[in-house]
Amino acid sequence: MTEDILLRATNIVKEFTLRSPGVRQRLTMQAVADVSLEIRRGETFGIVGESGCGKSTLARCLVQLLSPTSGSVQFNGQELTKLSRRQLRPVRRQMQLVFQDPYASLNPRRRVGDIVAEPLRINKFGDDAAIRARVLELFELVGLDPASVNRYPHEFSGGQRQRIGIARSLSLNPSLVVADEPVSALDVSVQAQVLNLMADLQERLGLTYLFIAHDLGVVRHVSDRVAVMYLGEIVEYGVADDLYEQPFHPYTEALLSVSPELDDGTREQRERIVISGDVPAPFDRPSGCPFRTRCPVATERCVEEKPVLVELSPGHSVACHYPRNRT
Amino acid sequence: MFAISILVFLIFFATPGVDPAARIAGRSATPQVVQQVKHEFGLDRPLPVRYVLMMDHLFIKQDLSSYINIGDRVVPQIESAAPVTLSLVLGAAVIWLVVGIAGGVIAAANRGKFIDPLIMFFGIAAISVPAYWLGQVVNLITQSKLHASLFSWVPPSGYVALSASPGEWALHLLFPWLTLAALYAGIYARVLRAELVNALNEDYVRTARAKGLSERRILIRHALRCSLISIVSLFGLDFGSLIGGAALLTEVVFGLPGVGLLTYTALQNLDLPVIMGAVMYGAFFVVLANTVVDVAYAFLDPRVRLV
Amino acid sequence: MTPECALSERDATATPLLQVENLQVSFSTRGGVVRAVDGLSFSVGRKEVLGVVGESGSGKSVSMYSMLGLLREANVTVSGSVKFEGREILGLADREMRSIRGGDIGMIFQDPMTALTPVYRVGWQIAEQIRAHSDATKAQARQRAIELLGEVGIPEPARRVDQFPHEFSGGMRQRVVIAMALSCNPKLLIADEPTTALDVTTQAQILELMGKLQETYDSSIVLITHDMGVISEMADRVVVMYAGRPAELGDRRDVIRTPQHPYTWGLLGAVPRVETKRSRLATIPGTPVSPLNVPAGCAFAPRCAHRFDKCDERPTLKGGGHQDACWLSDEQKVTLRQRDSTSVSSHD
Repeated sequence: MTEDILLRATNIVKEFTLRSPGVRQRLTMQAVADVSLEIRRGETFGIVGESGCGKSTLARCLVQLLSPTSGSVQFNGQELTKLSRRQLRPVRRQMQLVFQDPYASLNPRRRVGDIVAEPLRINKFGDDAAIRARVLELFELVGLDPASVNRYPHEFSGGQRQRIGIARSLSLNPSLVVADEPVSALDVSVQAQVLNLMADLQERLGLTYLFIAHDLGVVRHVSDRVAVMYLGEIVEYGVADDLYEQPFHPYTEALLSVSPELDDGTREQRERIVISGDVPAPFDRPSGCPFRTRCPVATERCVEEKPVLVELSPGHSVACHYPRNRT
Repeated sequence: MFAISILVFLIFFATPGVDPAARIAGRSATPQVVQQVKHEFGLDRPLPVRYVLMMDHLFIKQDLSSYINIGDRVVPQIESAAPVTLSLVLGAAVIWLVVGIAGGVIAAANRGKFIDPLIMFFGIAAISVPAYWLGQVVNLITQSKLHASLFSWVPPSGYVALSASPGEWALHLLFPWLTLAALYAGIYARVLRAELVNALNEDYVRTARAKGLSERRILIRHALRCSLISIVSLFGLDFGSLIGGAALLTEVVFGLPGVGLLTYTALQNLDLPVIMGAVMYGAFFVVLANTVVDVAYAFLDPRVRLV
Repeated sequence: MTPECALSERDATATPLLQVENLQVSFSTRGGVVRAVDGLSFSVGRKEVLGVVGESGSGKSVSMYSMLGLLREANVTVSGSVKFEGREILGLADREMRSIRGGDIGMIFQDPMTALTPVYRVGWQIAEQIRAHSDATKAQARQRAIELLGEVGIPEPARRVDQFPHEFSGGMRQRVVIAMALSCNPKLLIADEPTTALDVTTQAQILELMGKLQETYDSSIVLITHDMGVISEMADRVVVMYAGRPAELGDRRDVIRTPQHPYTWGLLGAVPRVETKRSRLATIPGTPVSPLNVPAGCAFAPRCAHRFDKCDERPTLKGGGHQDACWLSDEQKVTLRQRDSTSVSSHD
């Protein structure tokens, strides 16, 4: 059975070097430490992790906003890392980004209609009339009043601004939309509206989403498959329902257990696994398994031997020597 | 500093229309005399060679001498002018720091009330008034107009060394101090007030209020302490450049033979060696001041460390 | 040795620790009068955790700040009654308020990264608060600071007491802030979104810590947040705020399991849940009301799918232990709530 793979990333590594004045040696850290994943056409692939896990950096490496230090990214079968900037341009139209901060990602000095039209203009979509028509079409698509094209960003609420950002990303009919924390800055009721909108758009336009967030509930809601990242590595991935019902990795299990839960009487409350300590500084990456410094079941083996991703059940893989909840 | 010396040198010698040889030779000199002067002073040698020669005389042999007052050495002139400038700037600095910081703190503590814009107005006034004008007005009042009545105790302009008579030293410097301090006090009061008002809106001040601390303690111990960092760096640069001779106009107006006045006279006479010496002297202090400020930063702000 | 901190008046166990009646806070701005808090009433008992939940513009933070006298700008008007241990504290002179702030009532804020003064060591900052409310000497205050750091779970407290805030991570800083707030054994702790800026795992640690300390110190907590999940974990009672007004008030279980105000159940329905996946999230149409434009009747009416003509009249909190500000009849509330939760909301 051939699945239609839209994006294939293999062994992505992204290093950053800090040169501190006066310090002899340069400090290197791996924001993304050997990540491989495949995104299928039409699905929503969720990446969840806490701050500093490298998910945003990974997203930028995939769409080539950053050049990976090593590794390959294939989009529609085409290798992206070898392309020049000019060669990348037609590909860029196919991959678009939606950002987190609706207040910072729109240029406050431009009218929103122009903001949405900009990608169309740069890519020579057509004459002014065609562009204008497309902009109005996009506004309707995201549920904004077409009459508001001439307003400025500050005249809109956070949720509306995020819709504008989505409209902008859809202007060139991309096949892949990478959404980096698109709803984190929004109120709960507005968040729900934007998530529903994104689901609708996916159905109507046949979009593929790479959805990055730190909120486990949000990621579960939107994703078909989910990957969990810790300190630059994917520690577990699989079909969303499988992963959430039966997490294999101790970190995933802990994350799920401490996510605040609504006690609405429908389920028994989960047992809480509160992990201690802080995430290690990326410059001081622990040997072996990155999670071992905080893991409740870590042993000597975890210090010496780095676990690799192993498929424990169909479509569900984990990198751990002592996976949990194995049936 | 190297770059500055090159720059000064080029400005002086490479500027068309300015012929130092002609100036040295005098008005009625014939072309032959000018030629002779050129040769004597080495002005007919190529530019880079002249530069090296001058630097050699200035720093190594220390016998660089003036073009105008032939025979007068540059270095001793600067040496004797330096203490004057130092006295002027030190005294003024004390005054402007006290007045400026007090003004800024009082304005910020009473923001919105009448005294706040009043202090800011005085600040702007002090900044807008040119130092030489203020100096001349002060002189006018103290030396001539009201000299007989109110200001009879004000001595005539000039400088008296500290070693000669501390009393006279201070008296002679009193009005120059006030004049020079006025401008800077104005700047510092305004800058500090702005910094303080900003700091008072910060989260850590909100925490301090929630702790139950008094407004005064919050203002002085928290807001001021954090705002001092920018004031200190500003002060370092101002002080450094003033020591180096930037108080030129004040010195001229009050007839104080400091480095500023020295530079002023040399500029009027196109006396390159003296200019070069004075500029290098000034540049040295600016560089020194920058370094001191950097070090001070590390002490004041624990987030900044030298390594 | 625990220094004695500023005492307040009679310690009556019958009266609630904090009693708020009809609190009103308004700002006069160029755009008009903004009523940030409009008629808030609630009480907090001893050793109780009250959750205050709302979205942006709900007035949840402003109400707490105004109670403690932290809003002293000229354009702010605060009225109503706030009684702490039976004593009216609204309108007190700043000097008297100051002894309560930090002494009997501690407060912690949202962003731990900017909550501490960057130029002073953390031990010094904690000691500063202790000495502001007691006669402790420098040595005694420092010793107490070390103890507190240990209590909040900071490793090597004797060494870290002399470190600067930037040497601590976000979660650690929040612990320092909590230690500082508890330093004078306050009877009430007000926590304004204390974990919003933190990761989920750190959040869990901090909430666990707060629960533990609440037991040790016998203090009550007012927990302000937008996160219903956090409320569900920590709160005993909940007040839901919308547009500066209370929409619902009651026991946590009641409010979450059987919400009575359409806004509350809309909010609960809009939260994507970790445990179950639904095809569509229930949404509340429109956006949170702008404080400049609050309707004269029910503030939520413009966004409410179940509004009817009575809603032009402003409702107030009514009911017994579980109160709500909604004109719908009790039966209607139950039916409509169930209907909303099973149907897929088709409007955005």
